[in-house]
Amino acid sequence: MAFDKMELRDIEVWDGNFAAAQALRQCQIDVVAAYPITPSTPIVEGYAKFEADNFVEGQYVMVESEHAAMSACIGASAAGGRVATATSSQGFALMVETLYQSSGMRLPIILNVVNRALAAPLNVNGDHSDMYLGRDSGWIQLDAYCPQDAYDLNFIAFKIAEDHDVRLPCMIHQDGFMTSHTAQGVKTLTDDEGYNFVGDFQPMNDMLDLDHPVSHGVQTEEDWHFEHKARQHNDLMTKVFPKVQNAFDAFEKLSGRKYNIVEKYDMDDADVAVVCMGTSVETAREVATEMRAKGIKAGVVGIRLIRPFPFMQIKEALEGVKAIATLDRSAPGGAPGMLFNEMAGALFNSDTRAALSGYVYGLGGRDLTKKHLVDLYTELQANADAGKVLTPLQQFIGVRGPKLSYL
Amino acid sequence: MATKGWDEFEIGAMLRSFDGKAENIATTMQEDRAYSSSNSFTASVADWRIDKPVFHKDYCIDCQFCWIFCPDMSIISRDKKMIGIDMDHCKGCGICVEVCPTNPKSLLMFDEHIEDEVALAGWPEKDEGEK
Amino acid sequence: MLEIRWHSRAGQGAVTGAKGLADVVSTTGKQVQAFAFYGSAKRGAAMTAYNRVDDEVIMNHEKYMEPDYVFVIDPALVYTTDVTVNAKADTVFIITTHMNAEELVASQPKLEGKNVHTVDCIKIAQETIGRAIPNTPMLGAFMKISKMYDIEFFKENMIRVLGKLPQKIIDANMLAIQRAYDEVK
Repeated sequence: MAFDKMELRDIEVWDGNFAAAQALRQCQIDVVAAYPITPSTPIVEGYAKFEADNFVEGQYVMVESEHAAMSACIGASAAGGRVATATSSQGFALMVETLYQSSGMRLPIILNVVNRALAAPLNVNGDHSDMYLGRDSGWIQLDAYCPQDAYDLNFIAFKIAEDHDVRLPCMIHQDGFMTSHTAQGVKTLTDDEGYNFVGDFQPMNDMLDLDHPVSHGVQTEEDWHFEHKARQHNDLMTKVFPKVQNAFDAFEKLSGRKYNIVEKYDMDDADVAVVCMGTSVETAREVATEMRAKGIKAGVVGIRLIRPFPFMQIKEALEGVKAIATLDRSAPGGAPGMLFNEMAGALFNSDTRAALSGYVYGLGGRDLTKKHLVDLYTELQANADAGKVLTPLQQFIGVRGPKLSYL
Repeated sequence: MATKGWDEFEIGAMLRSFDGKAENIATTMQEDRAYSSSNSFTASVADWRIDKPVFHKDYCIDCQFCWIFCPDMSIISRDKKMIGIDMDHCKGCGICVEVCPTNPKSLLMFDEHIEDEVALAGWPEKDEGEK
Repeated sequence: MLEIRWHSRAGQGAVTGAKGLADVVSTTGKQVQAFAFYGSAKRGAAMTAYNRVDDEVIMNHEKYMEPDYVFVIDPALVYTTDVTVNAKADTVFIITTHMNAEELVASQPKLEGKNVHTVDCIKIAQETIGRAIPNTPMLGAFMKISKMYDIEFFKENMIRVLGKLPQKIIDANMLAIQRAYDEVK
């Protein structure tokens, strides 16, 4: 092959962005079309440098907006290449139209989303507003909690998305700054291990197959649109889960690192549980352990696969829990919050009659401290003891001024 | 197509141009190509026409203007010789007649129901114009 | 868990310093974390960077910290920001200044009763590296005060971390680290 390989140490101290950039290098992406935006910039910047330094046999395409970035990715993917890019926040919002195009066209593009708040007011820090904005777009969404996850999940994402039974684009989310700019030890794969795990790109219905010409991006009206969307939803609901599990299993075999569709920590005998995503899962794990030392049977449920939503696995994970808190890091815009609604939906037809309360926290990068979580678990224990939610159903954590609560 | 269920088509709203492998397609004549049922070539739009073009080869100088201007690629030309009209795809727009430079024209519009022989028999003479 | 907070101006290399320290510590089998508050993200703005070091994988992602060490790599930040915020009784302060500890504490009463060490990282950087980039000398001073690693081991690893910089710059950084190690009081 015409490119150079890179020697990595077994453990490198990388932030989430550089970990993702290294994974893109090792997966040998053919095309990255990008319009860099904080805090995801170093991912595509890193790929561009690897490409310029001959560590990748690919093409970095400069475009005039995020809409154009995803459009170019769609073109390159339809042509038959392995394609990835990265974005955040406002850039993600501008990309939304083309997100629906790429999933509807069943193009296995990988998008690293470094989660950041949405303006107004303008804010470059991490929350889950952009991640929530993408949740009906028909993409697969995986969530990283730390730089190691951001590295590993990129390999896993290509493995899932490019499978010919799946052929759906996949986002890998990581928390802006809290993961993307936080350096931690990352256990690496060698270039050969990483590449062999994802394998050579297997094109499907690619436009560069000149012997089998195809038209992509066609129009369907009321006569066929519903059938296409139904097919896409069916594949998300039935085909993706086993493929994700297979990819997790294969990755564990390769690296020893185990990922789960729903991550359960101390949940076997938990009375009280926090359901959350991103870096908060790890902080909550640490606090749950400390709460157990104080006699509170605390657990944490982290959502690893956000879409398709693991309805059945969630139901199983929360079975028998007495009090549950959902932590939404996105302004719910006049609703109880995504996780609250999803948990309520999953639990309503189950035998688990838990006291379910929702919390909104961490908007615009506001710190979620261990003290917040200690207070939260204490509140949950009171709910568990009373057998009902003693507080309003929706509360805000860490906002200035008088306490905010609704419902 | 219309009888297919949601799980019976290829994913991605992607349409194939040909059934099977299309080798040397650039040098294969349209009539010899294995167009797929989703290719618009296999769909007739002949019923859109109210007026139809009729071709009179005696006056044609093979300038290819009609071939270039036809919006539906319905002028059949072989070796730069105009040989006829693809009546499955012609919608009867009349552009070919408009751009035809001969005198009299080599293409004229007639009512759809008039027989070609009748049309050709009544073809106008050369217009000598004002002297 | 060892926790460090850096006070710096954007552009003085606190993030690079924190990541460099994390990199060196990681080679000894410890778990590390390095992150920063970027604030308004323009050169010269006051900002803070953070290190966590532990034997176990660090899962705590809160930004709140009660530091064991506070590094101040710009002399003016002692007056324009509160470098003692969330400090513990035994927090060790290593502060860049041309003054000695008594003069410094006299000029900033908030440091009264604290464990304060001083070193002029700005001057050292100017005289060795040729620019006021006080991050690597601060790490030299930290090695002296904390006795974390042997200075030669630390310098050896920093040469690897500084990696692709020109040899002249790497040599100057090593000199700066050694001088700060020798001069911190």
